[in-house]
Amino acid sequence: MIASTQLRSSAILFSLLAAGCASNVTVEYPTIPAPNVKKLPLDVAVRIPAEFNNFVHEEKVLGRETWTINLGSANALFFEQLFGYMFDNVIVLGPDDNALDYTFDALIEPKIEGFEFSVPNQTKTDAFAVWIRYRIQVFDSAGNSASTWTVSAYGKSQKEGMGGSKSLQRAAVLAMRDAAALILLQMNKATKIAALADGPLDFSQIESSASATQDAAYDNGAPEAIFAIGGIDDDTE
Amino acid sequence: MTLSNSITIVLAFGLAGCVTASVEDNREETTGLLQGETVVVMAKSYHQGNETEADYISCVEKSLGRGSGALKVVPGQVFVDSLFPWFEPRTAPSDTKGLVLLMEKPGVPEAIKRMGVRYVVWLDGGTERITQGGSLSCAAGPGGGGCFGFAWWTDDADYEASIWDLSDSEAAGTVTADFSGTSFLPALVVPIPLIARTQSRACSGLSKQLKAFLSSNEKV
Repeated sequence: MIASTQLRSSAILFSLLAAGCASNVTVEYPTIPAPNVKKLPLDVAVRIPAEFNNFVHEEKVLGRETWTINLGSANALFFEQLFGYMFDNVIVLGPDDNALDYTFDALIEPKIEGFEFSVPNQTKTDAFAVWIRYRIQVFDSAGNSASTWTVSAYGKSQKEGMGGSKSLQRAAVLAMRDAAALILLQMNKATKIAALADGPLDFSQIESSASATQDAAYDNGAPEAIFAIGGIDDDTE
Repeated sequence: MTLSNSITIVLAFGLAGCVTASVEDNREETTGLLQGETVVVMAKSYHQGNETEADYISCVEKSLGRGSGALKVVPGQVFVDSLFPWFEPRTAPSDTKGLVLLMEKPGVPEAIKRMGVRYVVWLDGGTERITQGGSLSCAAGPGGGGCFGFAWWTDDADYEASIWDLSDSEAAGTVTADFSGTSFLPALVVPIPLIARTQSRACSGLSKQLKAFLSSNEKV
């Protein structure tokens, strides 16, 4: 009886210690406010990749603590809402839907290219930070790749309370909101998606857009290159 | 009132760390608030390296909205959401030149008018521990426990509020608050914290000056 009680106590102590070395953060759906921008007169299809419905990032920090960030379906809902605000008509396609079965001016395929975060231990500050890199690929109505754009978003939140889970969650939501702001204001400039309202690309445009896709200026993930922080670009609309 | 109660009250209110304060303003244009006009308090963008604490911003927001000469304050998050995506950390204008451009964007002047926002107060700065020293050790055993030693630390709270007048898209001026406070923690069995509430004092000092600055009809 005594041995069983000791065993149970040890198990409880061990699980408490183990829990102390792991943090789980679940990001709820980040609602984007209705933006003060004009919708683009386009019918677009958005293909939501399978990973957007169940995105989990796990990372061990400084060999001490494992953080698991579960974005769940936050990305899927986020892009559905965002593109709903940006374009006149939006059709949402699942990973297995055939785009040829639908009529649209442009097909957009967002992907998560990278997810990183930092905790106060690493930066020696009181802040949690999250970086999310989205790759947005745009196709014309004939299925030709029109452009690819990498969006690097950043969110930062100061540590509140003991654990920091809420702060990291907030930093992730702020990073998604940062991506939304950048996409709303810069997507047309970066991808020239509005031009696809006039029909699919012709052969010469396909050639040039293919080279633009590989152009480092678009793909190096530096938002500053096309969007100055702390200011408004005159050509945003 | 018993002697022990009196001692407790003296310890609670009388013994606190010392704080030195300096609050100044620099007026660039005449201010004043008309009936229905409101104020919003925001942190300068972290994209530009600003580290102003969220609780400090919340403290200034609350302090402006209560007490004598209380102002009508629109919560920062409500303002940012109503103007999405133009006041996000990445997109918010960094100077009044950007503000002029922003006021030309569709829906922006209407949203600002709807909320009655006349002034945006941008907060910058933070509270830092600049020095600390001493030593304090505590021990506990079956017969009880206690602490012995002496520790001290100095916090420096340095904040600047830049005020923009949205009615003419001009900078109205700045208010700065520089507070420095030293806290002491002597312990002879029981530790007696003598805490200097530097950040809290910087909040009330800056808020008081901001109220006076925004409500005043003083000419430049």
